[in-house]
Amino acid sequence: MASRLSRFWPTLSRVRLSSALGSRCVSQTPNSSASGAAVASDLQPVSPAAQDSHGHAEVSPFEKNPDFHGFHHHDSFVDEWNMRLAFFFGISVAIVVGGTFIHYLPDHGMRQWSRREAERLIKQREAEGLHLMTENYYDPSTIVLPSSGE
Amino acid sequence: MLKVLIPTIMLFPTIWLASPKWLWTTTTAHSLLIASISLMWLKWTSEAGWTSSNMYLATDPLSTPLLVLTCWLLPLMILASQNHISPEPISRQRSYITLLASLQTFLIMAFGATEIIMFYIMFEATLIPTLIIITRWGNQTERLNAGTYFLFYTLAGSLPLLVALLLLQQSTGTLSMLVLQYSQPLQLNSWGHMIWWAGCLIAFLVKMPLYGVHLWLPKAHVEAPVAGSMVLAAVLLKLGGYGMMRMMVMLDPLSKELAYPFIILALWGIIMTGLICLRQTDLKSLIAYSSVSHMGLVTGGIVIQTPWGFSGAIILMIAHGLVSSALFCLANTAYERTHSRTMM
Repeated sequence: MASRLSRFWPTLSRVRLSSALGSRCVSQTPNSSASGAAVASDLQPVSPAAQDSHGHAEVSPFEKNPDFHGFHHHDSFVDEWNMRLAFFFGISVAIVVGGTFIHYLPDHGMRQWSRREAERLIKQREAEGLHLMTENYYDPSTIVLPSSGE
Repeated sequence: MLKVLIPTIMLFPTIWLASPKWLWTTTTAHSLLIASISLMWLKWTSEAGWTSSNMYLATDPLSTPLLVLTCWLLPLMILASQNHISPEPISRQRSYITLLASLQTFLIMAFGATEIIMFYIMFEATLIPTLIIITRWGNQTERLNAGTYFLFYTLAGSLPLLVALLLLQQSTGTLSMLVLQYSQPLQLNSWGHMIWWAGCLIAFLVKMPLYGVHLWLPKAHVEAPVAGSMVLAAVLLKLGGYGMMRMMVMLDPLSKELAYPFIILALWGIIMTGLICLRQTDLKSLIAYSSVSHMGLVTGGIVIQTPWGFSGAIILMIAHGLVSSALFCLANTAYERTHSRTMM
């Protein structure tokens, strides 16, 4: 699937970017009949903005290495292993194992316990016919007020 | 704490001893392992709040999410900058990753610090690698101006903080957060005390940034390379928020009256920077101003000193850290392919 996409990439980049932004990035690779892909003709000539810092025209890295993963431009072996390790440690270890670890962490701040306890107390008090909560937070008999003369 | 700090310090030998072919692969894998180990901080073991194995480095439910965010960010920065740094000579590549790893180390020690002076030193220490990243690896000539603004705005705010911390040490005898959270409220009733109150907070307000002192942020974020922008937006701004949350504990009761100008500036900043975003043509500049806007809301949440405000501020800091660094990464992806940041 990646190789099929890479066959269309020069076309896609040329058509999309050239039409939207003028001649910004134009692939300079010649139309290769051996690839068998339907290719649009060059829409615009090369502009100085489409060259990289060495002054060469931009070449799609998929020409040299159709399985380019984006990590290493010249060595496909390093590129592939970089992709594998990045995905393994990034997704399989960090996200999957890490996510599982987070899921099974104990009840943080006793939130789920407090919800269960509240529901249990409500059921108990309704069964006994008591109020769910008393009006007074403090016992009124313990409050000592100054006499009204002061 | 050391389970994460020592592997992070061992990143430096990894960077300098790895063979050039495998440099980025090994650093990516190593930093992702550190990120996975850092998740163990999320286990809340102590009802008292702070979890510590020694007196100097501890975590509590406020610093833990920020620590995990910091550790998660380093592999993302390495992945994002691999493409544009790879053409450079190998020792410069190693220096670049070394600067990112040193930022990680300073940030772990900052968020894990129990002494406020340790936090202050790490707060200042993060300026140096960031300045080097902006001025050495930025793409435009404006990066020198950006570095100057970044450095001097933060330093001008943090020198009063140093004086304020020394005064606090003098009057209370300790600067340990573990102790200060239980101390008696201070008698704060004179103009000098009000200036001390402002001195404690200005450094963090500049770092957040608050709307009136935010000028360094659009410059620094835009001129920095992608990893610099990511770490600035995701974590360094949160240093300001975290510092404010720690300091607010001991600044009562003056905060009841003195907080109003900052609440007003924060809220006004949200609206103004949001409107400024609508007029931007540069994509990175738009993301930078949106960061100011979000951090204005965090500032507002912290300065009103309610439990909900604090919780909301923490959640927004983590969310913004993840999203803003991802936005800068995407902007860089677009820039790498079109060589333009203009949106028109």
